Amino acid sequence: MKTKLYIYSLLFIITAGIAGCKKDNYEAPKSLLKGRVVYEGQAIGLRSNGVQLELWQHGYDFFTKIPVYVAQDGSFSALLFDGDYKLTRLRGIGPWVNNTDSIDVKVRGNTIIDVPVTPYTFVKTASYVRNGSTITATVNLQTVSTANLLESVKLYVFKTALIDDANQSAVTTVAASAIQNVDQSLTINIDVPASLSNADAVYVRVGVKTAGVGELAYSLAEKIQLK
Amino acid sequence: MLSFSSCKKNFLEREPTTIVTDDQLWKDPKLITGLLANYYNRLPTDMGLTDQAGSQWRNMADYDDAMWSGFSNEEGRNNIVTYDRSRWRLYDYGFIRDLNLAIENVDKFGSATLNATQRTQLKAEFRFIRAYLYFEMVKRMGGVPLITTQLIYDFAGDPTYLQQPRAKEDEVYDFIASELDAVKNDIGNDGSKGRANKYTCMALKSRAMLYAGSIAKYNALLTPSIVTAGGEVGIPASRAKEYFQKSLEASKEVIAGPYTLYKSNPNLGENFYEAVVKKTNNPEVIFVRDFLTSKAKKHGFTYDNIARGIREDNLSSSNITPSLNLVESYEYLDGSDGKLRTRNAANTDYIYYDQTTDLFAGKDARLYGTIIYPGAPFKGLTVDMQAGVMVWNASSNSYQTVEGPDLGTNYTDNKPLIAASGPHRSIQEVSNTGFYLRKYIDANGGASTRGIQSDVWWVWFRLGEVYLNAAEAAFELELPSEALNYVNLIRQRAGFGENSLTLATLTLNKIRNERRNELAFEDHRLWDLKRWRQADKIWTGNANSVDAVVSALYPYRIIRPGDPTKDGKYVFVKMTAPRFRSPRFFQIFNYYSSFDQNVINNNPKIVPNPFN
Repeated sequence: MKTKLYIYSLLFIITAGIAGCKKDNYEAPKSLLKGRVVYEGQAIGLRSNGVQLELWQHGYDFFTKIPVYVAQDGSFSALLFDGDYKLTRLRGIGPWVNNTDSIDVKVRGNTIIDVPVTPYTFVKTASYVRNGSTITATVNLQTVSTANLLESVKLYVFKTALIDDANQSAVTTVAASAIQNVDQSLTINIDVPASLSNADAVYVRVGVKTAGVGELAYSLAEKIQLK
Repeated sequence: MLSFSSCKKNFLEREPTTIVTDDQLWKDPKLITGLLANYYNRLPTDMGLTDQAGSQWRNMADYDDAMWSGFSNEEGRNNIVTYDRSRWRLYDYGFIRDLNLAIENVDKFGSATLNATQRTQLKAEFRFIRAYLYFEMVKRMGGVPLITTQLIYDFAGDPTYLQQPRAKEDEVYDFIASELDAVKNDIGNDGSKGRANKYTCMALKSRAMLYAGSIAKYNALLTPSIVTAGGEVGIPASRAKEYFQKSLEASKEVIAGPYTLYKSNPNLGENFYEAVVKKTNNPEVIFVRDFLTSKAKKHGFTYDNIARGIREDNLSSSNITPSLNLVESYEYLDGSDGKLRTRNAANTDYIYYDQTTDLFAGKDARLYGTIIYPGAPFKGLTVDMQAGVMVWNASSNSYQTVEGPDLGTNYTDNKPLIAASGPHRSIQEVSNTGFYLRKYIDANGGASTRGIQSDVWWVWFRLGEVYLNAAEAAFELELPSEALNYVNLIRQRAGFGENSLTLATLTLNKIRNERRNELAFEDHRLWDLKRWRQADKIWTGNANSVDAVVSALYPYRIIRPGDPTKDGKYVFVKMTAPRFRSPRFFQIFNYYSSFDQNVINNNPKIVPNPFN
């Protein structure tokens, strides 16, 4: 009975598929818009699915945004129809100075566009050394805007590469008050928690929290072999 | 011939038989009552006991007090990766227009048949419903356009004059307060629980002003604080005190009224259950959405949520199952922390209990009144729960856990393996957490069948909440002894001794926890966490966080014939609920729901909410 039902539903899907083809008079969008959120050519690391850019297209009856989520390495992509779009950065969504000027985006086939932002403080470089179960990060920060002040710098450990303030197993937080000079490199230690001590490898990442800004600016996630 | 004669009667000018005109409506008190019933029935809530007016009882499973253990179609409720931007959105200007029209039509059409007092009373009642609706909108969306008259299009081709901008958030709260003050003496309905009276107005004012006060205070402390340039979102911190003051005054008015805390049953756990659910001689409940089986106004909440082992129907049951998180938030009556003692002090071995109920001995009576825990009685039956057995293996010096694929089964020793009510890791419609819901579940025979169903009411306001509103407002106003007085009254009813809290031990967190304990499943927790600006700190989306993850408690029977101090006893294992997937994740953009793009397209004066 179950198999029969399965076959029937399969048949139905196939029939629906065939019948559906005749009515589809639009081709699916196929122009790929790609880009990154950058400051001076360096992508700003983010929380995955945390920051949303908006694409708007004027001139059609159905006027609603196309949300474009930025990946954690600062890149984004969207499949679109050819046309002229406006790309906007919502106020207060990312770890950068608000700038609500929209960016004109002409999509003619595959298009690449970088979105310039002015971060507050971000991770210029970060390197990691493991010693036993302790991981030491050496972090170079760069401060671009001081409109909002640095709150803390955080070092995270997690079992997967998708790692951020919410998805982490352990975190070491260095408050801004404990940092002598933000322009000098900063050393942060973290112990791999017991729950991950049997793993082959863990991932680490540094995040910078600016006071009064919800999202953090991150470095790239890096894999640390434990075995 | 027939067709000719029918032509003579004005064929095109007949009275419609399916439409009630305004003229007819406002002449007939029965029709007016019907209209009122329609409007009361459209009051929105996030939860409720039914699916109506945007509310869904299933939403009870979407936060940290409970999870979904029912039919796997709704499994998504255990896997909410993040709350959607549009979640809790409410922009019901269709209803606002209906209410505005009714307020105007009372005078326009009713003057011939209704006397002035009747008309004032009716208008007061419509204005109460409108104030309630505005409160529901402002707590979800922030400031919304304040429309108090019907908007009429002049057909001149330019509708822009009908587009109204959003009012400031505090303007909407001020509007609610002034409306309630204005109507409270005209609204009548003394003693009614289904229709609003003076005390209902003040209970709403007490709640709304408390919300406004805490938003004013805690939004400013949040980073980043959520504000728009025009004040559509964000109340100035300087107004916090004023709002708390108004809330406290309104609460006092209700407390001075005819209501008293329900204390009829000497069994304090049953007493708390009855305080919410019992419909006759209930002096505590102020305002409800009522149901009546004999008039076929009933609901399937009991059918859907009764404990599995005592269900009377062959389907459903056990959908909303309370979490261990909530159970542990109830303190012990001696004042100690509510964490359940399942392991010995050194954490080397389990604690062995003779009966499953022994673990819960000495807990806050509201735990019993809200939740069915393993071995607790409900309507004269016992809801036994056992997830399996633990067999001692002397050679490895450890227990071997044995579970099974079916409920109500015996182990090889002919004693229970899995109880009829579970808990079970994977079977649907069995508790996945080790607890069942008691609050709002009907104990009458047949109430959990689809044929009979239940007519338990949904409580909008009861005195217990007003006491806690008063306690919180007083504490925020730095009147701790007054706050202490109110909060101890509530705790005393739950079995704590007199003065169980003192000035030295009373903290804001204690008052907040009382709200969680007292008002669980009454649609408060989400809105409380939002106005305290705590939601993003508690529901962090972090799988390691004890608050963001729904936990379960599984009882096992010990089989260890060599050791009579342990054999046949029960131990408990705490774990993340097996069917629970994604930790609750409330992000900063969730504090105010996004507006539908169509709303903004039709009215460009609407300023979007921050981060949305």
